[in-house]
Amino acid sequence: MTQGPASAAIRLFSRARFLGVIAGGGLLAFLGTRAVASMGSWRINTVERPRPLFDFSTYRLTIDGLVERPLTLTYDELRALPAVRQVSDFHCVEGWGIDDVMWDGVRLQSIIDLARPAARASHITFHSLGATYRDSLSLEQARLPDAMIAYDMDGAPLSPDHGLPLRVVMPRMFGYKGAKWLTRIEFRDVQDTGYWEQRGWKTDAWIPT
Amino acid sequence: MDPNVARRLEAVTPEDDDVARFTWPTRLAHWVLAGPFLVLLGSGLTNYFPTLKATQFAGERVFALLHVVTGFAVLAAIVVVVLPLLGRRDARADLGALIRVTIDDYLWLQHLVLTGVGSASVPPRVGKFNAGQKLNALLSAGALAALLGTGVVLGINFFSKAFFSAEFVESVFPLHTWVSLLFIPVLLGHLYLAMVHPSTREALRGMTGGRVRRRWAARHHSAWLAEVELAESARVEVTRS
Repeated sequence: MTQGPASAAIRLFSRARFLGVIAGGGLLAFLGTRAVASMGSWRINTVERPRPLFDFSTYRLTIDGLVERPLTLTYDELRALPAVRQVSDFHCVEGWGIDDVMWDGVRLQSIIDLARPAARASHITFHSLGATYRDSLSLEQARLPDAMIAYDMDGAPLSPDHGLPLRVVMPRMFGYKGAKWLTRIEFRDVQDTGYWEQRGWKTDAWIPT
Repeated sequence: MDPNVARRLEAVTPEDDDVARFTWPTRLAHWVLAGPFLVLLGSGLTNYFPTLKATQFAGERVFALLHVVTGFAVLAAIVVVVLPLLGRRDARADLGALIRVTIDDYLWLQHLVLTGVGSASVPPRVGKFNAGQKLNALLSAGALAALLGTGVVLGINFFSKAFFSAEFVESVFPLHTWVSLLFIPVLLGHLYLAMVHPSTREALRGMTGGRVRRRWAARHHSAWLAEVELAESARVEVTRS
């Protein structure tokens, strides 16, 4: 050692410790980079535990309630309905959003035309497969030209996290209006208070511009 | 001897040979920010753990609400506690020493790097704060300001969506996330040096009880200790005369 006792004493790091700190810092930087890379992408939010499982052979989309023509559709029949494609932005109420999501599916207007709601039907409740989550729209809102139910996202069937086989897409409202794992569309004469709306979020979740 | 004089003499030459490092205003300012910050970090990180994130109590998302309320509490604490404390001489002197950059800070960092790679190096004399402590303070203050600035927007948006446009909120959100993630290594380093590293953890006593061992101060903050001892001897002289 060429150093005097005083400088040896003040030495903050031994070589091993210094290299350890560098390695630890590198690891943190790596994790940070991963976290940063994950930004600008979807965050998966669900209150359904466990995540609802879609079974192609048993899945049915039920359209019922105050309608002249209740319907039960298989996955194939669903995909055979008049299809639309739209590109719209997704906004989560938490403060993040995804621009230009491409959706393929069916207009809610088409579902309304198919089912022919009774005169006193005023709202639609959307039910998830897991039976925990549901949300609702007024008929007027559901008739908006960009309101739809989607089975494909960005050109491929919805992933299980994104609500396979079907989800509600309502671009002018926050994402919690878009029930995932959709299995039942129920026409009612009152507006149902959705899962998050029972917990303080607004029933009319218009996105402020 | 006058009991008053005896008490004052005792105060400047304690038996355990400690030396006063931080008076209560500085310590209070530190902890009133540090305590809530840990709550904010913990509750914020629940974003990355879906089960925790979804935890609800009485219809409220527990960690989200805790995060926002704590954030506003920190803002209030700065206005009500920290800023008034800067009116106190000791705290202001500490802040002054913390933001004063000298050539010795450069030499200290150089010494850190040189000893880190195993070279011989003579350390500069260190005042009340070394360059690492100053760097930590600077990064912490910067991160805190950025997190509070962006956090106010997100916090208001948490309670009312009518205030800001979704686009604006969505441009602020990533900044908040970036700064917090980048600050985590800094905070971990700070915690490590304060609680684990054998030769530096004595500093924590200064921030809790306010005093540090004289021998440690001589090693790590020799220029500061010299000042303190000069002041001590002057006070003893005054007391004796």
